[in-house]
Amino acid sequence: MSAPRIAVLPGAVADQIAAGEVIERPASVVKELVENALDAGATAIHVDVMEGGRALIRVSDDGSGMDAVNAPVAIARHATSKIRAAADLVGVASYGFRGEALPAIASVSRLAIETAPAHGAGTRVVVHAGAPAVVTEAARRQGTTVTVESLFANAPARQRFLKGARAEWRAIIDALTIVALIRRDVRLTVTHDGKEQLALPTASGLRERVGALWGHTVAERLVAVDDVAGPIRVAGLVERPADVGTASRRVFLSVNGRAIRDAGIVRAAEAAYRSAIPSGVRPSLLLDITLPVADVDVNVHPAKTEVRFADRWTLERAVERAVRRALGTEDAEASLGARSWWQAPAATPAPLGREVEPSALIETPAPTPLFAQSDDAPTPVDGEPEIVVPPLVQLRRTFLMFERDDAVVLIDQHSAHERVLYERFLGEFERGDAASQALLFPLTLHLSPAEAEAFEQAAAFIRGVGYQVESFGGSALLVHAVPTPHPRFDAERCLRETLAALTGDRAAASHGKHERLIATMACKAAIKAGEALRVDEMNALFVALARTTLPAHDVHGRATVVQLGWDEIERRFGRR
Amino acid sequence: MRFTISREKLQEGLAAVSPAVPSKTTLPVLANLLVQTTDRGIRISGTDLDIAVSTEVAAEIDTPGAITIPARKLSEIARELPAAPVKLSSSGDQRVTLECGRSKFKLLGLPKSEFPSFPAIQFDKAVRIPSGELQKLIHHTSFAASTEESRPILNGVLWEIRSDLMRMVATNGHRLAKMEVPVKGGKQTDLIIPPKALEQIRRLFPAEEELEVAQGENHLGFRSPFTSVYTRLIEGPYPGYDQVIPKDNDKVALLDKAAFISALKRMSVVASDQTHRIRLSFNAGMLKFAVSTPDLGEAQDELPIRYTGDPIEIGFNAAYLLEILRYLPTDEVRMTFRAPERASTVEPEGWTDPSKYLTLLMPLRLVD
Ligand SMILES: Nc1ncnc2c1ncn2[C@@H]1O[C@H](COP(=O)(O)OP(=O)(O)OP(=O)(O)O)[C@@H](O)[C@H]1O
Ligand SMILES: [Mg+2]
Repeated sequence: MSAPRIAVLPGAVADQIAAGEVIERPASVVKELVENALDAGATAIHVDVMEGGRALIRVSDDGSGMDAVNAPVAIARHATSKIRAAADLVGVASYGFRGEALPAIASVSRLAIETAPAHGAGTRVVVHAGAPAVVTEAARRQGTTVTVESLFANAPARQRFLKGARAEWRAIIDALTIVALIRRDVRLTVTHDGKEQLALPTASGLRERVGALWGHTVAERLVAVDDVAGPIRVAGLVERPADVGTASRRVFLSVNGRAIRDAGIVRAAEAAYRSAIPSGVRPSLLLDITLPVADVDVNVHPAKTEVRFADRWTLERAVERAVRRALGTEDAEASLGARSWWQAPAATPAPLGREVEPSALIETPAPTPLFAQSDDAPTPVDGEPEIVVPPLVQLRRTFLMFERDDAVVLIDQHSAHERVLYERFLGEFERGDAASQALLFPLTLHLSPAEAEAFEQAAAFIRGVGYQVESFGGSALLVHAVPTPHPRFDAERCLRETLAALTGDRAAASHGKHERLIATMACKAAIKAGEALRVDEMNALFVALARTTLPAHDVHGRATVVQLGWDEIERRFGRR
Repeated sequence: MRFTISREKLQEGLAAVSPAVPSKTTLPVLANLLVQTTDRGIRISGTDLDIAVSTEVAAEIDTPGAITIPARKLSEIARELPAAPVKLSSSGDQRVTLECGRSKFKLLGLPKSEFPSFPAIQFDKAVRIPSGELQKLIHHTSFAASTEESRPILNGVLWEIRSDLMRMVATNGHRLAKMEVPVKGGKQTDLIIPPKALEQIRRLFPAEEELEVAQGENHLGFRSPFTSVYTRLIEGPYPGYDQVIPKDNDKVALLDKAAFISALKRMSVVASDQTHRIRLSFNAGMLKFAVSTPDLGEAQDELPIRYTGDPIEIGFNAAYLLEILRYLPTDEVRMTFRAPERASTVEPEGWTDPSKYLTLLMPLRLVD
């Protein structure tokens, strides 16, 4: 057999192969054309689609247009006006830069470009399935209209992979949604089979654009993220923990104004929800990330949805922190505003702050001697921002209430304490340094078979939070040492109740999900609703809660803090 | 009822009894003091149902009788009265009139019949106890009682009376204090008393007085010639504290208390808010302190000591240790150990008092 001859592929074939990478389906065409319009500086873009894009895709813009000389060049391979040398790739600001899209589309469709750099004198370029272009004059207003018909008519293999018109339309609308989210400053109108599908006016920000896309109720329920960590800025909107799982999940990421897909960043953002939402559900995330152009490489994949980061770890931590901060703030809960729920507004005169005795509730009984002066109790040093505790009132032995200039704020004492203990237990567990107070009189617990099994499964974590336990033939436990998270802590009851809860939750025990186990333990260890708290205990709880990373939510993702705005209260009293 | 009393005697009686009146109560009469005439004057009583205090002060009786008067109002008025004799009278079940100089007050009381009766305690078989010795026991032990509700028995202080000694023990399961004083006691009795009652006893009876102590069905009464305190008893049995007191601790440290306290306080500054965990390494001649708290910092210190035995490294709740040291009566203290997970003892060193005092502290687990 003779050796195969090596031949240079004819240009048209090469274009078809390349088209496979860029142009997989109608949605890819829409994306490329719309990006070209954006690169041309369009302020309004209109898209018409017929039959899911197989029959027709037309994108019209009011951008710069092309003159008679440049218009035919646009469809030549690697013809681009956007970069000149490889070095320009670093920090490229336009969406397109490879000069590949139009030739690729032209090779698998009937492509027509009508364009004018100014009103009046325009050019029309028509290419049929990669054949030589036909150029004519055509008068039009400034801008460009690109029409793509009979997509993949000459590429049966590709056509076979197309889904039905509905599915292709879905993909198109998804692509357009991404564009709409990135470029809030551009007017975008879209029709499908002659019916208007999107009519988005220019928007001043992400929330407004989200409102126009998915409705204003959706938009208002999202929590604003905006955080700067070193050179990295993370902004956007994320779902309130309480809403997660209740509506369809939407994820959108942009880096330096370019939509990307990145599982690592999503994971980092989701990590910020850890314990604030039930396991198994995932939050909606719309995040714009800005970082120095030198720290991103966008030329990884022709479809440009993946990018490389110089320092991924730092970026992911920045994202996690930004989302965590957003969720920790009050608007994750109720009203809007970026300040923390516990912070008094800057405008208010200093509230009647109280000296806090941090020992209450969060310390082991800082021994309150019955008869002696306690003046030599050590004063703790405080490196953290000062938390001024407002006068607190306990309601129904369940809620702590205080006033701020804009709202009445209620804290659920159990949820709050649970959150405090959860973060403490988790930290100790992960560091392996849980405190364990040895007991003078060891406790004996008799277990049901189910509880004994739960103990076997969870023994490592029970020890990890500070219980020193010895098991006797499965049915009895001898407890030698216990954690001491707060003065009211009942170590025996907490262990009993945790084991009882675990028997009803096999998954928690067996999968070694220590967070879930620790959440159960925190729930059992926390003060309950119905317990009367002393003022010093309320104050200590307030401070401890303010120091947690997610004060607004308990470990089940429920609200810990609720605010009733004065506006609302005044409205009810007919004062407004 | 009608009597005349000096302003000072009235204030004295109210000061003794008022602290026994609960600040919040669902039973309105408990917010009142019972005022009754006696042969010698008047008796003022108050109670929160757990503890009752009653004291007798001199007064001139015109008409015998009894009524209850709002405690807070009466005390506030008594505090502000001019220096003049106070005339107090009641008409009917509820009306009280108080006159002093030109001041005149009318208050609304409650009938005597609504006031809870005091536990029936026969003082004829009472034990006689020097008040000073009792106060010493209370002072050195009751701080160690538990304030947590899970084991009510540990909320009390055990008081053991023997023929030749009295002993008090209190513990919260993490630390324990025990003291015994040699006294001519009485027949063997074990009582478990709420610390709140002991506090009243310590406050009310002068050290030089001799007290009569008598037991009712589930109450205990303390009586001096003018004042009595009744308390509910906590039902036993008290846990066997004797078994947990280590007898084979073979490592002994002698420390200067003041230096030890100040080092512990320094270390506490960076110890965790919740556990106050510190690490102590005892070696011949030197005690080393170390603290390391995530998010807060680290600290080390050293203190020359006298030490015999193998070196030991052990963790403690510094707050517990500081608290114990506050009650130790001597300048030097003696600590003993066996192993890092076993109980250690802290005792006075070189105490010339005939009493015996021992405190015991359970360690905190150390991680390496
Ligand atoms: N709507 C438009 N308005 C003005 N000029 C356009 C428009 N569409 C395309 N062009 C011109 O045609 C050139 C080629 O477009 P094409 O999409 O093929 O390449 P690109 O956008 O430069 O790079 P990429 O292949 O990455 O999209 C562009 O560089 C631009 O100069
Ligand atoms: Mg392009």
